[in-house]
Amino acid sequence: MFERGKKDGPEGYSNEAAPGNSPQWAGNAPKSQSSGNPGSQGAAVIGRSIRIDGDLQGEEDLRIEGDVNGKIQLRNSTLTIGSEGKVRASVYAKSVAVDGYVEGDVFGAENIIVRKNAQVQGNMTAPRVSLEDGAKFKGSIEMDPDAVNAAMGGAAKTPSKPTPVEKTAASNDKVIAASEAAARKAR
Amino acid sequence: MPEAFNAPLFRKAVEQLDQERRCVVLDLGAAHTDTIALFSEYRCRLEIADIADGLGSLAEITDDLEQRAEALLPRAQQEPADLVLCWDLLNYLSLPAIRALSKRLSARGRPGMQLHCLIVYAATNMPVTPCPFIPQPDRSLLQLAADPNEIQAPRYSPEALGDALLGYTVDRAMLLGNGMQEFLFRL
Repeated sequence: MFERGKKDGPEGYSNEAAPGNSPQWAGNAPKSQSSGNPGSQGAAVIGRSIRIDGDLQGEEDLRIEGDVNGKIQLRNSTLTIGSEGKVRASVYAKSVAVDGYVEGDVFGAENIIVRKNAQVQGNMTAPRVSLEDGAKFKGSIEMDPDAVNAAMGGAAKTPSKPTPVEKTAASNDKVIAASEAAARKAR
Repeated sequence: MPEAFNAPLFRKAVEQLDQERRCVVLDLGAAHTDTIALFSEYRCRLEIADIADGLGSLAEITDDLEQRAEALLPRAQQEPADLVLCWDLLNYLSLPAIRALSKRLSARGRPGMQLHCLIVYAATNMPVTPCPFIPQPDRSLLQLAADPNEIQAPRYSPEALGDALLGYTVDRAMLLGNGMQEFLFRL
């Protein structure tokens, strides 16, 4: 559906057209990227010159560096909103990582990561929410496992009771897992 | 490196939250990893208002002060708040602005909602911008450095503050070793 990023580069995405018949949407995706976005390597890319108004659905990982207004549903995949990305939408994905700007409610069946340069305005619902120091956030974070599970239609991997969080390190930045429940269950 | 200070009423407010019962916490400060980590121990929805940058909008005392106070807060949810964390932000508001803000907070709170704040009382001056306060695992607070420039502190008396916080009663007040007075109000 989207341009497939190069898999051989460390950035995991490209500004080159996709092979085959894939639409050539991405244009000027930046080469720089913060490290450690799970699932961003090989993800489809919406480049920074692209603007989309409407609903996006898919079954593959997606990286957004452009503007998207509407609704995004990647229920079994990872969505990365890159440093150039501007999303004004309701977002549903298995996993969401935000480096750029988001205005809207964000649902992650597994987790949401808000990186230090991100700006998020809206409500976040996920079994595990991480926010790096420096990130700008205004809205609510749902931490009640029962409420998370209900919001995710039972898809969230949450226990019936909350458990204390643990501190983890990622990309030399302190990241606090707001709820490690899903991770613990997965172990 | 600043040292954490003991904040007994903050500790009390947090520990009064029932770990088995769902609760809503409204944090008027900026999002911080440690605050999220602290409240992830509870079945909690954490609302983060991050109003510091917008305090200037309450400087002018006009009839629409309440509307402007409401505009600083996150989108209202149906579920009322159990605890409001004001940190040192009330020092940066006039008494009419505190009254307007507290009315909007009352409208979002359940009966018995608690409101915690820190008021400068010993020092004549305070930083020109509000300070980040970071909860520690033992529920003490770490006050991070803010703008080194200073302005005159209003040094609100308990009576003046009580008058401004219409509908609230002082649950407890304590003088802290760092020159601040800690208040816990109840709606």
